[in-house]
Amino acid sequence: MTDRVLTLKRFFEEARAGRLTGIRCGKCGELAIPPKEFCPACQERDWAPVPLAGGGTITSFTVIRVAPRGRGAEAPYAVAVVRLDEGVSLLGRIVDIPFDSLRADLPVRFRPLVTGEQTAIGFGPA
Amino acid sequence: MRRVAVIGVGATKFGKHDRTSAELFAEAAGEAIRDADVAPSAIQALYYGNVTGGEGEKQLHMGPLAATLLGIPTIPTTRFENACATSHAAFRHAVMEIAAGVSDVVMVGGAERVLNIPTDAATEYFAYCSDASWEQTVGLTFPGVFALIARAHMDKHGTTEEQMAHVAVKNHRHGALNPKAQFRKEITVDMVLNSAYVADPLKLLDCCPFTDGGAALVLAAEEVARKRPRAVWVLASQAASDTMFMHEKRDLSRVMATERAAAAAYRQAGKTPADVDVVELHDCFTIAEIVATEGLGFFEPGSGGVAAEKGWTSLGGKIPVNPSGGLKAKGHPIGATGAGQIAEIVTQLRGEAGPRQVEGARTGLTHTLGGNTATVLVSLFGRD
Repeated sequence: MTDRVLTLKRFFEEARAGRLTGIRCGKCGELAIPPKEFCPACQERDWAPVPLAGGGTITSFTVIRVAPRGRGAEAPYAVAVVRLDEGVSLLGRIVDIPFDSLRADLPVRFRPLVTGEQTAIGFGPA
Repeated sequence: MRRVAVIGVGATKFGKHDRTSAELFAEAAGEAIRDADVAPSAIQALYYGNVTGGEGEKQLHMGPLAATLLGIPTIPTTRFENACATSHAAFRHAVMEIAAGVSDVVMVGGAERVLNIPTDAATEYFAYCSDASWEQTVGLTFPGVFALIARAHMDKHGTTEEQMAHVAVKNHRHGALNPKAQFRKEITVDMVLNSAYVADPLKLLDCCPFTDGGAALVLAAEEVARKRPRAVWVLASQAASDTMFMHEKRDLSRVMATERAAAAAYRQAGKTPADVDVVELHDCFTIAEIVATEGLGFFEPGSGGVAAEKGWTSLGGKIPVNPSGGLKAKGHPIGATGAGQIAEIVTQLRGEAGPRQVEGARTGLTHTLGGNTATVLVSLFGRD
């Protein structure tokens, strides 16, 4: 185990290959999204990576119609907070789900959104 | 610790200006210095706030620049950046410098200039206040952040788009009474509901505008302030944070940092929400005002929408909120906003707010929220 359990770079390299990875505290069992130095629950520094299956449900969502510079052509697009089945959440772009069928508790599944060098979190139909 | 007072306030008109942010600050600071009736040379330090000057004006090292324009180029300066809570954070540190006995007279404030750049560039720069890896990569905007909060509040409490519209209508009604407001035009609930969606369920008229402007305050130790009948005392100034990540927010229908900062501020001042006569709070979006009125303890969780609809937060209502017009109508020059809110509360507590005066106001509260709800400042003010 390296000193840095999971860097952002490593997380997104894994995500690019379709694998989501969390970190679990060896002392109290807290599950978190990396990177983190200390456990927010028990202050310990004893993380180990754990695979996340990628399934989850929508907590809240929005359809963004006014986009930042460089994303105008992508708008409108939906973004949601998704609670993964393991209990942690991730923010992601919603793809391949009609806007009018979006609702809280809708099941979705992770998929990487790859644009050139950049990987972003996406969620499509479960 | 020494007591601290605000002895001078100043602000530019909020709106569009063809001047640099440093020039805008200098105008506001000049007004504050004249209002305080002190010589510029009496100021011993500057706490300065600005957010996007590096991007939009290619200008960093703003503290000495602002002091130079004020003609006091040798005083120590510090520039603050806490997203939209920037100059309220600067204020808290200036209060601590005086309370600790380091300085007797300190200037604090800020300025922002964004109407010189295209809207999509400003939207991009503001989004830098959310996380670069998790939030900017999926295209989350600030209306998007508050849309996620709005949806969660609607799902949990039944809050409606119409209730949110009432916040905008009320703040425009107040803003029409404020000569320094960006918008001095009343709007209707139908106008809000019929405006275009920016980030569902938030529409254009649920959103505060982009704004240029500056605001400044002169703070002084009790020994200086005691001789000044218009001094307004700082009863408390508290800051709290929350996780930077939207994916880690414990409950999207609440702003935990508001609740933490408010609890600490009421404790420091020995006050309760019922003691507060007038409030300037962070209504960057209509839902933000609803959630803030709950988090600050004026209404039960989930009832902020009803309170807005019933007019309880209007001038003349149970607890007047944003008599200045708020960020929605007065405008939101993000680096200046916190100082601008404090300037309004000081003006109210002095009884100098003219047609928007809350009669008999003795205790006031300011609340400023930064970015993706990760920073909140709450301060309380009072007269002797």
